Amino acid sequence: MSILTAEQKQIQQTTREFVAKHIIPFAAQYDKSGEFHPYLLDAARESKIFAMAVPKEYGGLNYSALTQAVVLEEWGYGCGGMGTTLAASVLSMDSVLVAGNDEQKKRYFAPMVRGEIGSFGLTEPGAGSDAGSAKTTAVKTGDEYVINGTKCWITNGGYSEVFVIYALTDPTKGVKGLSAFIVEKGRPGFTIGTVDHKLGIRSSNTVELLFKDVHIPASNLLGKEGEGMKTAMKTLDLARPAIAALALGIAQRALDECVKHLQKRFPDPKVQPGQTLQFKLADMRIEIEAAREMLHYTMSLRDASVPFSVESAIAKTFCGDLAMKVTSEAVQLMGSYGYTSGISKLMRDAKIMQIYEGTNQIQRLVISRAVLASAPAAAQKAGK
Amino acid sequence: MSIYLTEEQELIGKNAQGFAKENLDPIVVELDHTGNYPADVVKKMAEQDFMGLFLPAEFGGAEAGYVSFVEVIENLSRSCPAAASIVVNHSLAVYAIQRWGTAAQKKEYLPSLASGKTLGAFAIFENGPTPGVGPDALMAVKKAEGWVLNGTKTYVRNAGKADVYVVLACSDPAAGAKALTAFIVSSKAAGLTVGEPKETMGLKGCPVADLNFENVMLAETAVLGAVTEGPELVAETLAVAAIAEAAQTVGIGQAAVEHAAAYSKSRVQFGRPIATLQAIQTLLAETATDCHMARLGIRYAAELLDNGEPFQVEAAMVKQFLARLHSKMLLDTVQVEGGFGYSEFMPLPRLFRDIAGTTLLDAPADFPDKTIAAALLA
Amino acid sequence: MPKLLACYKWTLNEQDIKINPADLSLDSSRAKGKISDFDRNAIEEASLIVEKQGGTVDALSYGTPAVKQSLKDALSRGPNKVYWVGDASAENADAFVTANVLAAAIRKIGSYDFIFCGEGSTDMFYQQTGPRLAQLLGLPCISYVEKLEIEGDVLKATRKLGDCLEQVNVKAPAVVSVLSEINKPRIPTLKQVLGAAKKPNEEIKVSDLGLTPAQLSPKAVRKGARGFVMNRKNVIYKESDASANVAKLAASLAAEGLR
Repeated sequence: MSILTAEQKQIQQTTREFVAKHIIPFAAQYDKSGEFHPYLLDAARESKIFAMAVPKEYGGLNYSALTQAVVLEEWGYGCGGMGTTLAASVLSMDSVLVAGNDEQKKRYFAPMVRGEIGSFGLTEPGAGSDAGSAKTTAVKTGDEYVINGTKCWITNGGYSEVFVIYALTDPTKGVKGLSAFIVEKGRPGFTIGTVDHKLGIRSSNTVELLFKDVHIPASNLLGKEGEGMKTAMKTLDLARPAIAALALGIAQRALDECVKHLQKRFPDPKVQPGQTLQFKLADMRIEIEAAREMLHYTMSLRDASVPFSVESAIAKTFCGDLAMKVTSEAVQLMGSYGYTSGISKLMRDAKIMQIYEGTNQIQRLVISRAVLASAPAAAQKAGK
Repeated sequence: MSIYLTEEQELIGKNAQGFAKENLDPIVVELDHTGNYPADVVKKMAEQDFMGLFLPAEFGGAEAGYVSFVEVIENLSRSCPAAASIVVNHSLAVYAIQRWGTAAQKKEYLPSLASGKTLGAFAIFENGPTPGVGPDALMAVKKAEGWVLNGTKTYVRNAGKADVYVVLACSDPAAGAKALTAFIVSSKAAGLTVGEPKETMGLKGCPVADLNFENVMLAETAVLGAVTEGPELVAETLAVAAIAEAAQTVGIGQAAVEHAAAYSKSRVQFGRPIATLQAIQTLLAETATDCHMARLGIRYAAELLDNGEPFQVEAAMVKQFLARLHSKMLLDTVQVEGGFGYSEFMPLPRLFRDIAGTTLLDAPADFPDKTIAAALLA
Repeated sequence: MPKLLACYKWTLNEQDIKINPADLSLDSSRAKGKISDFDRNAIEEASLIVEKQGGTVDALSYGTPAVKQSLKDALSRGPNKVYWVGDASAENADAFVTANVLAAAIRKIGSYDFIFCGEGSTDMFYQQTGPRLAQLLGLPCISYVEKLEIEGDVLKATRKLGDCLEQVNVKAPAVVSVLSEINKPRIPTLKQVLGAAKKPNEEIKVSDLGLTPAQLSPKAVRKGARGFVMNRKNVIYKESDASANVAKLAASLAAEGLR
């Protein structure tokens, strides 16, 4: 792990205390009921953590990328679902950070500073990995846009104040006709549809968004028409490490719970778990350590304004896959106890990390393209 | 071994699949939601002769053999792994009594277990890491009147619904794990209580609970096998469990890969069904291959058992193989279905939760390695 | 106590047959055999009657030599004995040939009170074998039976016709063909499957049936078999005005011939 500054250590400590007080004691309950509870927003309001990525001039905490990763790892450690609530809200405001003008930033960031949350609305029933085949339309009429369509699997939808919605301003141009918009809760015609019941991250709110002739002012357009996909991709670059951080937190939690369980089961120092179990723990530690380094390196690239798109994809893939591996191993290792206790939640929560914000297959496409593109240049140089 | 099933074994497998489609498919979602023991379905399974499948005819069994057993378990598991779990755990008690019971014990217990009139269970685990060792061990003390049992058995499947428990207790603390003795215990025994049902990640509908023994008095005739035969009984019965649970695992994996394959044909992204993408094909192919290879290993071990040959190493190998792969099968098939594979409106999340439990609840995690290594290094 | 015979066909499980998308040809190489669905109902009905009121039920099948794979399946469903004719002539047999063979076999085996068939087979569904068989044996034929009872030597049947239900009584001997509505075949238990091996089966050779080559030549010759794949047209009407879309849809349906 990166060497944290004193300030970062302080933030980590404060976050850890917050998670221990407000998240860990309630995680199992909301996992069971499968609902998001806004108590979380009330508890977090004073800390302004939902504005951790908002720049200072808009009243936010302006945390560096690395600090954000530290915070998200702690939240993931407490509960993957509640961590997702935070990560998805930051994801939505990242779009405004990328493509919004000053006035838009003021408008979008203000609720975050007040402790409210936002949603990122790209996915549709027919547009999952193929985000470009979105069908929601935004037709310009006068100085307004009228939005029609459906978004699905939108995190926080039922509780967000603000949304970034991706819609086609020019359906004939396909993905090049996609644009990004701010849509506020309460606009007539904008309703919440079905709530999804999920295998994991059940304390996170996941819903359908329904748009029927929703009028928004033209000033809600983020950037220019047709730049939607570019904005979405830049947003996801920023947001992918957040998922990596959540995944890392889940993995660390799984390892810690394993150790706690084994210490209870083998209280006599003369009778300890055999090598098979010991080596499994070592492997879990090796992977978590490597993942954390990868993630922190990626964050330091971003903080140094160095391009980090590929590293972002690597971090998300690596951390997501390892969280799955570590949690499955943990459940197996803890046997019947693992299967009948909260440990199984970690395994269920980990699975989504390989799927959302770009499946790990999509990430591999991004990474392999970069690998294939770079090789010839390096070989040429070597040839000289 | 013959790679091919006999006509009867094929028919039995086909019929089990038909039975599962007709009787298990309609209840599986609700069973997962409520976790209520499906007594009606267990009765129907008994009517199909599943509860005394490998028992001799003299006890009302079908004498269908162990290859048929795994065929049935796999096919039941393709529809409802929880129902298969009930049969598997019942069958472990049946196996133990059939194998080590006296003529009187067999006559007393086997016919009603075979007909499904009574349900069996096998209790091995304790709170301590090694059954029979340490302060958490279930102790059996020999008195003039018989044996007195005190302690707790944990995570006993079918607990609370079972009528007959085969229980392992420590009969000599000085000898520890070597002094395990098996007892046949009636659910009605005075001093025996069943703990709160445990909430499981999956396989809901197959009850799991602790068994608490408070001065439970058992007659000498309750001892199953010789007093010192417990460790052997455990090892062999757990080997049978390994084979049966492997069949469950493969059934779930097969159901998952078939569902994911069908999904991938109909899900269109980037202008084509995702089934045409190599990455998807790889995920599906690996899962199908793992199921296929495991199935052959399972059949082989079952056939050794049918022929009365040593089978424990082969059983351990099949468990070892699947312990590494079973999660992967469901992780990959859920991945194929993406967001839909994560939504509880679809069947894969339930299969994900079920498969995590099939190699867990009946044996210590390192038993396969030890067994295989011992054979190699002898 | 009725003496019953149930005739069945060993067909391929249509779910195992794959259609080659390139030329719509059929690949049956991995298809497993099964007792044709309606014939399963026929066997089940005969077995149910015998279980209830005594009597016997035999089974009879004419097929390629692969019909041997069906014997235990058939016997596990209740019949006491199965007769089988396994001959290459069955590969291209139509209902004409099938009925000739079955009739000749039955004349050789002996007489039955009632002969049950399925209304049609799952592969060809000619729906002719029952009536042709009855004609050849000089017996009455009651078809489309969805419910029946046997009292003494009288069979009381309910026939499901296009627009009504017809009650018919017929005195033994007779041929009856049944619909799938008549019962839900139970799944044989393990003991029934294993018990099948103990029951007798008897092969009847075509050469012993005294049939002429003409009687073994099909009148309906299959020229070829192709799969049917329904391709969706995937037409979307995207007018902004809903009524315009409806008008367009109605027009295109009319153009396809729907009124």
